[in-house]
Amino acid sequence: MLEVLAQAVINGLLIGGVYALVSIGVTLIFGVVKIVNFAQGEFVMIGMYISFFLANSFGVDPLLSLLISMPTLFAIGVLLQHFLIRRVLALGDMPQIFLTFALSLLLMNVALLLFTANYRTVQTAYSEMSFHIGPLYFAVAKVIAFVIAMLLSAILYLFLHGTDLGKAMRAAAQNREVAMLMGINPDRVFCVAVGVALALAGAAGSLLMPFYPAYPLVGQVFVLMAFVAVVLGTLGNITGALIASLMMGVAESLGVQFVGADSGLIVVFVMLLLTLALRPNGLFGGWAR
Amino acid sequence: MKSAFLTRPRFWVAALAAAAVVLPLVVSDPFALDIFIRVLLFAFIGVAWNLIGGYAKQLSLGHAAYFGLGAYTSTILLIRFGISPWIGIIAGGVVAMLASLPIGALCFRLRGPYFAIATIATAQVLMLLFLKFRDFAWGAEGTTLPNLGDAPLMMQFESKAAYYYVALALLALGLTITYRIERSWMGFYLVAVGEDEDAAEAVGVDTTKIKRHIYAISAFLTALGGTFYVEYIYFIDPNTAFNFNISVEAALVSIVGGIGTLWGPLVGTMLLEATSALLQSWFGSGHGGVQLSVYSLILIAVILWRPNGLIRLFTDLYRRFAYRDPARAKEVALDG
Repeated sequence: MLEVLAQAVINGLLIGGVYALVSIGVTLIFGVVKIVNFAQGEFVMIGMYISFFLANSFGVDPLLSLLISMPTLFAIGVLLQHFLIRRVLALGDMPQIFLTFALSLLLMNVALLLFTANYRTVQTAYSEMSFHIGPLYFAVAKVIAFVIAMLLSAILYLFLHGTDLGKAMRAAAQNREVAMLMGINPDRVFCVAVGVALALAGAAGSLLMPFYPAYPLVGQVFVLMAFVAVVLGTLGNITGALIASLMMGVAESLGVQFVGADSGLIVVFVMLLLTLALRPNGLFGGWAR
Repeated sequence: MKSAFLTRPRFWVAALAAAAVVLPLVVSDPFALDIFIRVLLFAFIGVAWNLIGGYAKQLSLGHAAYFGLGAYTSTILLIRFGISPWIGIIAGGVVAMLASLPIGALCFRLRGPYFAIATIATAQVLMLLFLKFRDFAWGAEGTTLPNLGDAPLMMQFESKAAYYYVALALLALGLTITYRIERSWMGFYLVAVGEDEDAAEAVGVDTTKIKRHIYAISAFLTALGGTFYVEYIYFIDPNTAFNFNISVEAALVSIVGGIGTLWGPLVGTMLLEATSALLQSWFGSGHGGVQLSVYSLILIAVILWRPNGLIRLFTDLYRRFAYRDPARAKEVALDG
């Protein structure tokens, strides 16, 4: 019993690491640009298809294609901010929500047209490999994904706290007007924030590819997880989003293990509703709304 | 004299209503009637959504919850207890209204985008619950509704035209309620909440109460649409009744048409359904993705270039036509 429990917790933590990349992106855009990106999951989907086609056509290992998917999505993010999001920043909640929401619909349906609804998988040498520690079982692909996800999160943390650009981003997140008075160019900071967030989504896509199928609607799973994690971890709080994502992964995995195979999402949504009822500011205090 | 008559909005509303009433007498092609029924139904759901989403600007993306609750309540009453859907449709509305209270209490704790996410979650939870509980409501397989032939008392009709008139009546109901609310104290409070919730609170509007009330009305109306829909297609399953696309369409038609306006949802639905019918005749129905791709492009274009919705385009043209005198036109524009 205890072993089953421990195994479920480990599986949850490992996938939670990938959720974290998506959640951190959502919370980063929310913190800096003050916009909720409903299309974040679709950028995971794009990352997955990039890795899939690189693997399929050129035999590039999905982990290596990280080096292509991340910069590509960074560039998409900069363009997205510059040409679309920037134009609705002054317009209030409604156009902002519906812009990214429409983008999400568009990307899903264009993917459906281009790639069909078929599930695409990539088989790598390590896709089926696993190792044991005591009675516990670790899938190699998931462990690699988790480790790289945590590494990327750590690099982002260092970037935000150690570099001028990172500090400028945090300053813009705390108070846009004062940051502008200090000579920070908000357009540039916003472009970088959205670019970084999308690069993380792309990384999540590439990391998932060895053990998770790509299909046009795959992003929905991840974006729902991310939204719950971001609320749970207090909006705009990156460390909070990371911890909450790991919790979400564990909660989902325990739900699947002990309630039933298709109840993972129910557990997640119930957690969201409980959080809203009991701690609407998220677990890590601070500001909500 | 003649032009003064033509410029009165009441004349146009009456003309539109008359055209809508005689339409099935002129058009008998079932395919065309089906499109008109869809237009009326989705315009009605858009009108219901518009009350909370447009006037109070509480962006719900979970109206499928109430659509589904209405559909399931009336279907369960019909199949298990043999109760007529005419009673079931009201019962469904009441159930949706009651459900909106706890859902609203939770979701209104969040604002803006996170309110939207919370409403998505509630609709999804309901769908998953109905998928899981087989004994209670037929689970994932769903069920077909018993075909009773021509039974107007059981909301089943031989002719498509009858369904058309039911949908038309629903839309008329929705528009009347919106018109009444728009002109009451509630309408002004709603617009105040939509403009700036904190400021509304500061001048003494009980924002929580007003949001709760309008959400309940919106849920009630949406549930009526749900019952009508399953009665029309003779089938129900969780994926039909709680489909996310219903939530999307309800919001989409209002935004494209113009949120917080009486006629916006109808204008938006006409445009989107016409687009969808055209796309189907060009591409056939086999190409999944075309319709929603085009919808989302229209939505992006509207947000970027016409954030007030397309109805503003029409009202501006109407004013130019109605008031040739530029001074008068300016005055009216300021009023509106």
